[in-house]
Order: sequence, then C-alpha cells, then structure tokens
Amino acid sequence: MSSARLALVYAALVTVFTSALLLAVYLLTRSALEREIAAVVRAEVDDLSDDLRLGGIAQVAATLRLRADSWGRTGAVFLLADERFRPVAGNLTAWPREIEPRESAMVEFDIAARERGESVLHPVEARIQHLANGYWLLVGADTSERASLLRSFGIATAWGIAFTALGVWLLGAAYARRTARRVRDYATTCETIIQGDLTQRLRVDGSRDEFDALAMAVNAMLDRIEQQTSTLRAAFDSIAHDLRTPLYRLRVRLEEAQLRADLPAEAHELVAPALEELDRVQRTLATLLQISRAEASGVTTHGDSVDLAALAANMVELYAPGMRAEGLDVTLDAPEPAQLSGNRQLLAQLITNLLENAMKYVPAGGRVEVRVRNTPTGVSLSVADNGPGIPAGEREAALRPFVRVGDAASKAAGSGLGLSLASAVARLHRAQLTLGDNSPGLVVHCEFPAAPRRDAPGGVALVS
Amino acid sequence: MREMHLLLIEDDAEAAKFLAKGLRESGYVVDIAADGREGLFRATEGSYDVIIADRQLPHFDGLSIVAMLRKNGRHTPVLILSALGSVDDRIEGLRAGGDDYLTKPFAFGELLARIEALLRRGNLPEVTTRIRIADLELDLLGRKVSRGGEPIDVTSKEFQLLEFLARRAGQVVTRTMLLEAVWDLHFDPQTNVIDVHISRLRAAIDKGFDRPLLHTVRGAGYVLRDGG
Repeated sequence: MSSARLALVYAALVTVFTSALLLAVYLLTRSALEREIAAVVRAEVDDLSDDLRLGGIAQVAATLRLRADSWGRTGAVFLLADERFRPVAGNLTAWPREIEPRESAMVEFDIAARERGESVLHPVEARIQHLANGYWLLVGADTSERASLLRSFGIATAWGIAFTALGVWLLGAAYARRTARRVRDYATTCETIIQGDLTQRLRVDGSRDEFDALAMAVNAMLDRIEQQTSTLRAAFDSIAHDLRTPLYRLRVRLEEAQLRADLPAEAHELVAPALEELDRVQRTLATLLQISRAEASGVTTHGDSVDLAALAANMVELYAPGMRAEGLDVTLDAPEPAQLSGNRQLLAQLITNLLENAMKYVPAGGRVEVRVRNTPTGVSLSVADNGPGIPAGEREAALRPFVRVGDAASKAAGSGLGLSLASAVARLHRAQLTLGDNSPGLVVHCEFPAAPRRDAPGGVALVS
Repeated sequence: MREMHLLLIEDDAEAAKFLAKGLRESGYVVDIAADGREGLFRATEGSYDVIIADRQLPHFDGLSIVAMLRKNGRHTPVLILSALGSVDDRIEGLRAGGDDYLTKPFAFGELLARIEALLRRGNLPEVTTRIRIADLELDLLGRKVSRGGEPIDVTSKEFQLLEFLARRAGQVVTRTMLLEAVWDLHFDPQTNVIDVHISRLRAAIDKGFDRPLLHTVRGAGYVLRDGG
C-alpha cells in the first residue's frame, strides 16, 4: 500500500535529518569542551611562568606544593622536573615514560591512580614547558570527566534519534492509515454511485483538510450531475408521456376504423400496416422508458431469489418452436439450479432480448446455445450462436441504444434497443454484459454475483 | 342476460371518451369518473360489475381507491391501468388488491378480453376435474387430452395453454394473458412466439377434424369454442 510506504519514507527522512542535527550538536560540544581544557591548561602554564619570572624555581615549586593535593577535586595535573626529569614538585610521582619532552606540545597520556583499592587509569591532556634553567614544567587536566560527559551525551543523542524515528514512524503510519481509510471510504461511495445511486455523497468529516475540500468538490460535482440527470430524465419522461397519449389515441382511432364494417376493403388494407407501424413505435418508446428506468434505478426494494437455470429453461421453451420454425436450432445447457438475487421479469427480458437478437441476425440453419453455470463467484449466463457475429471494434458500440450493426437488411430488422436494454438489466444486477467471438458467431456473456453485497444499496428492481 | 355495468375512472377526458365509446359498442353500460375522489364515491355508492381505474389520478390514485374499497368489504373486480411500465408497479398494484393490471399503451382488444375474464371469473367452479368443449375433453387430474374419444399427445406446456383456454371457453384470450398465465412473463416479446405455440396446439387438437375449436380473433387473441 503506497500511503504506508510514503509514511515509512517520511519517517526515514525525518530520522536522517534529526540524526545529522544531533550529531552536529555532539561534535560542536566535544570541540568546545576540548578547547576549554586547552585554555585552562594554558592559563595555568602562564601563571606558573609568571611565578618563575618573579620568584625563580623556588616560587614555582612552592606554588605547586600548595596545589599538589588539589588533583582529586579539580583534576589538575602538575609536575616540575629538573633537567634529568627528576620530579621536584607537583602531584605526579614521576615523569610519564611515554612522553617525549618537547616544548609547548599538547600531549595525551594516562596516569594510574588508586581509587578504593583499585588502580584506575585516568586520561590526561597536558602541556609541556621547557623552563629557562633547564627545568621542565608539565601542566595537564584529567579528561575522564569530559569523556564521561560526552558518553552520556552520545547515549542521550542515540536515544533521542531512536525515539524521534519511532514517533515519526508511528505518527506517519497513523496518518497513512487515516488517509487510506478515507480514500477507501470514497472509493466505496463512488462504487455505489456507479451502481446508479446518484443520491450518495462523499463523507465530509468537518476537519477542513484537503480531503474535506476534495469531498466537497466531488459532492458539488455530483449535485450538478444529479440535477442534470434528473432534468434530462424529467424532460425524457415528459416527452415520452406527451407522445404516449396521442399515440394511444391514434391507436384507438385506427382500431375503431378496423372494426368498421362500412369501410371498403382497401381502407382496411391501409389501416393494418399503419397499426403494425404504430405497434413498433409504441414498443420502442416503452423499451426506451424501460432502459431509462433501469439505468436510473438506485435504491429500491430487495431482489428476489431467482433460479436462472429454470428461467432460461422457461425462455428456451417459449422460444424454441418459433426459432425452429425459422430454421434455428436452440439448445439449453443448464444442468443444475443457479440461484441469484434479482428481478425475474427483468432477467426474463434480458434472455428474451438475446434470443430475439439471435432470431434477427442468425440465418436459417444456425445454432443458438443458452448456457447457465454456477461459478465460484456467482452465476454465469451465455447465449452463443454461429451467425455472423459482431466485429471486435463494433462490440462496445452495439450495446449503446439505437446502434445496429451488420448490413442494411439486418439493420432494418431491429429497433437497436435490444442489446442496450439487456446491458442495462445486467448492470442493474451488478453484472457486466460482454460480447465475444464464438468463432464463428456471437457469444453474449453475463457474470452475475452470487448475492448482493452488504454495502451496496439493497437489491435490484425498477424504480419509477 | 342483464347489462354489465362498468365504472371507468380516468382523468384523461379524451382517452376516457374513446374507451367508453368502445366499451359501449361492445355492449357495456359505462360510467366515467374524472378523478380519484369522484371515482371512489361512485365505486362505493354504485353497484358495478368491474371497475377500471387509472393508476395516476388527481386526489386519490388507483391503488388507494382499490385499498379503500377492499377495506370497506367491497370485492368488485378492479382492473388497474397504468402508464408506468415497470414490473414492480404491477406487483404493487396486485398487492394493493387490484385484480388485474394493464400497462398503457394496450390494444383495445386486450382491455375487452381482460374485462370479460374478470366478469366471468368465479363462474367456473375451482374444483373442476374435467372440461368438455364439443368432443374435446380435458382430464385436469390426469393431464390428458382426447378428442372424439381419441387420446392426443401434448407437451406439458401445451396442456397448460389448452387448460387456460378451456377454462375460458368462448372467451377471447390475448397473447399477453397467455404469456402471463403459462410462462409467468409480464412483458411483450416483439415476435410472434405465442402464435407459434398456438399453431402447434391447433395442429394437435384440430388437425383432421371438420370442426375447428381453436380460433384466432383478429387484433385480439384466441378463443376456444365450438363453432365459428
């Protein structure tokens, strides 16, 4: 999941920057402490040089003797040695063996001290001064204090880095989870909207963050779409309604004329095809209204349990004689009950449209097979024929209203609404109707989910 | 035979006029109510054989009228007309106490056939085991058909078709009524599927006999009866 990865990267970056900062503080502190020791030592050396100038070696030795016992408290180390490095005064018992006498160099060595019966090494930094009369002066400071301070500081720094990293990671993970949850929430809502429930809106939690801004923008867009859709639907419904009434009256008049015995036979011959034509217009209008309702269907009553295998058998039984009369062989392959949740009449309409489509397009001598199967995810329905089929490039268009494929003769046969209505019914049942190649021929496939998901608006039915 | 009284509750004046004219020509006495309130009043006060109510009406809609009639113990058959074509509306209509449901647009013959069916309902005792029309005999228990004493082989669906027609012998039965009763389908297929089933049935029961029993009524449907 990418938002969790983002949180991890964020935590890593924060950790790196925090570590760099704390490390710099550590290094600066250490160099400041080192400089301080050097400065203290230098000041001591300068003091003792003044003593030498004013009172000679004796004065230096006297000063050192005064300070000799202060080592334990201040950590200062002193040694005045003669030209053969024999100690004259100070708190070191001998000239440190590893130190070469050289003027004004800062040297480091360890001295052994007895503390509670144990010999403990203390690191010392010192300065050496060659005095005028050939004597050597060594002034230093015990740096173990500084080392332990730096060690504590280092440990604190490491803990600080660890806590920062952990804290940042936890915060990042929590934020990422919250983000992921909101995005998932949005995705679920959008899916419901795609299913046709345009009344759903993204949740605005009042936090006024970017997500709220996004949700509000999307909701405003949905308001607009819903408003346009309902305006369009209202216009369509009123047009359909306005057309229905005059068509209905036209029909009554034509039927009246047909029943009139006093009209010549020629008049009856003119009325019959007019009525047939009117039939087609009225049916097209009814189908369009059905598609519009199926498309608009959102929250409605729950679907019933429908055995698609039994329904397919019923439909094949209804159509078989008619199809055989037209030279088509129709077979059913539905070996076991296949339950799904839906609207029986609409599913029957779907199968009807597929069968009637086959009757229109498959030439005599052809085969049509209706197949119903239980699948791990639900129920599948396919209607396959060995007719002319639909070229791959035209399949998607064939599902749209008023699109007819094939040559002019076959185009004249249908209203161009059959597959479109079938597709709308499939969508209403959360299934996708797809057209495929039966090589040769067309296979219409539909995969229905077993039961309605709990988070989707309940069931399937038409809404008016 | 006494005249049959119909109440037509329809707010579209012109449609009501046409329908009433057609129904009167078919021998019915027709009263028209132009809105739900008037319709309910007439339905409660008058004595009608069948009430035809539009679903969408001013004041009370068709469903409310049916519901109120039933609540008051009136069992007059009600045929609901609707411009709404959805299948749920139909279920709702029948659940409200309507006896039949017809979606606009419909052929006038369809309306006539359904009114006739509602009027004759109850004339035939439910516990019939045998139906005879001329020399055609249906054994409803054994689900067997014979004509002139000779057994005729029919499929189970053909028997259902024949039984539906035979129970309404002499009465026009439309394609839509057959689709509803035998296949439980409540929409109009665009092709002549029913005609093919009827012609197969006709071949089974009428072929080789002088007097055909299964007749086509032009523009309306079919009728099973003895003689033209």
